[in-house]
Amino acid sequence: MSITEKQTGTALPALPRLATRLPYGGRVGKAILGIVLPILLIAAWQLSGENGSLAGGALPTPDRVWQAWLVWAFGTPTFGLNPYVGTWVDSVLFSALRVAKGFGLAMAIGIPLGIMIGWSRIVAEVVDPTIQWLRPIPITAWLPISIALFGIHDFGAVFLIMIGAFYPIVINTTQGARDVEKNWIRAALMMGAKPRDILVRVVLPAAMPAVFTGLRIGLGIAWTAVIVSEMVAVKSGLGYVLWDAYYVGRMDIVIADMVSIGLLGFLSDRLIVAIETWALRWRRLQSFRT
Amino acid sequence: MGTISFRAVSKTYEGQGGVRALDAVDFDVADGEFVALLGPSGCGKSTLLNILAGFEPLTEGAVHFDGSPVARPGPDRGVVFQEASLLPWLSVWENVVFGPKVQRLAKSDYEPKARAILKTVGLENFHNALPVQLSGGMRQRVGIARVLVMEPRALLMDEPFGALDAQTRLSMQQLLLEVWQKLRTTVVFVTHDIDEAILLADRVCVMSSRPGKITRSIPITLRRPRSIDDLTNPEFIRFKAMIMSEMRSFQEQH
Repeated sequence: MSITEKQTGTALPALPRLATRLPYGGRVGKAILGIVLPILLIAAWQLSGENGSLAGGALPTPDRVWQAWLVWAFGTPTFGLNPYVGTWVDSVLFSALRVAKGFGLAMAIGIPLGIMIGWSRIVAEVVDPTIQWLRPIPITAWLPISIALFGIHDFGAVFLIMIGAFYPIVINTTQGARDVEKNWIRAALMMGAKPRDILVRVVLPAAMPAVFTGLRIGLGIAWTAVIVSEMVAVKSGLGYVLWDAYYVGRMDIVIADMVSIGLLGFLSDRLIVAIETWALRWRRLQSFRT
Repeated sequence: MGTISFRAVSKTYEGQGGVRALDAVDFDVADGEFVALLGPSGCGKSTLLNILAGFEPLTEGAVHFDGSPVARPGPDRGVVFQEASLLPWLSVWENVVFGPKVQRLAKSDYEPKARAILKTVGLENFHNALPVQLSGGMRQRVGIARVLVMEPRALLMDEPFGALDAQTRLSMQQLLLEVWQKLRTTVVFVTHDIDEAILLADRVCVMSSRPGKITRSIPITLRRPRSIDDLTNPEFIRFKAMIMSEMRSFQEQH
């Protein structure tokens, strides 16, 4: 192994660079490959539309959607009745902030609870059945209770997002905490670790790969939940705009809104993946080598 | 201090019929003695070590360490595992100071000690490396260092070099000899390698399986300090012949 010869102190083997392994060039080549299909789809959609729309005028073509989005994003708001002028950033922020709050709460409850369920048989026996009974209830079924409890108010949406994201986080964390290698625990006990140290310094880090799996699934559900709850229970955000634009026949805004949701979901997932890659360096190297 | 005593210790694993891993084992280790437990896989040698470490309960009998019954694992009995079992998310340094840290010891006490020990095991340039970036031998050096830093009264080593290639194993045996000849702590060393047992130990306890028992205890009177050059020493070969015939005779009886 090369590291034994290189006595250069902190010099570590380089991280695997997967992107450059493709035969047709580096990162750029990969990115170009990834956008070929969307470009083709958009082109086909554009070309199949007559006079700027298709399906008998029900769906606008991409150029119309793009125009509508430009106005929605950068137009100067007036006192007119059109709410889709210069309000895109506000809508995005409303939705993103709700996702951040609900998802943050789901993490704050789901991760510690999952660790406890995975680690302690008593906690598992007391809490786990309840979670398993509640879990099949879809977030949409929680809508009436959410509105009854919190009214047409911000926290109603946050509550739904929290419920939706909570299950995958708690279940994956539980699994991760259950699968901790026996000898890691034994080694820590042998070195004098107290139960608290075992939980914080061994079980939690050992469960992190599973936790991140839960976070990524949970985040996807959080975006579903924010749109659903904004369509019904709140009067702002991308979900509200989506339904409202449909009612007033602005399909261009509907599509621009959908694309915006997709983009936000994608970016927030990339953010989690970036944190995961950084936090789980130890594991990435491991899986690459064995 | 570091005396170990097993009195009529039996261990039966639950399950179909129940496997009797240890059967009425009597076993004593004096303070500062290096004892090798030698036997084929499945003879209960690891079970014996796990009971001593406090990882597994015993079924019958009594185990004492320095006069007190063994109930749970603790830093007075440092365990070196076969696959090192380092915490993979911690760097070499963090693995080595894990023990003192969770024991809430003063940094000023353990940090110089940890640095010195990492130097002894030849890892002074790898403080920041992750275990996965190290070779098997280097990982096991960390496994030994993290135990030595706690200054245990006994070292319990469970086939620590069993997973290493022959070359690396020799250099690790040499390292252990050098370290131990300075420290002189009590060591219980589990192995299935006859050479390794003779080279390292003051006494080799030969074990047999089903049920696990210590069939013979052979004092190794090779002079100290020893080194891996002793592997070809005529006296060494005599001990080897004796142990091999002991193991063979036992196999023939069964």
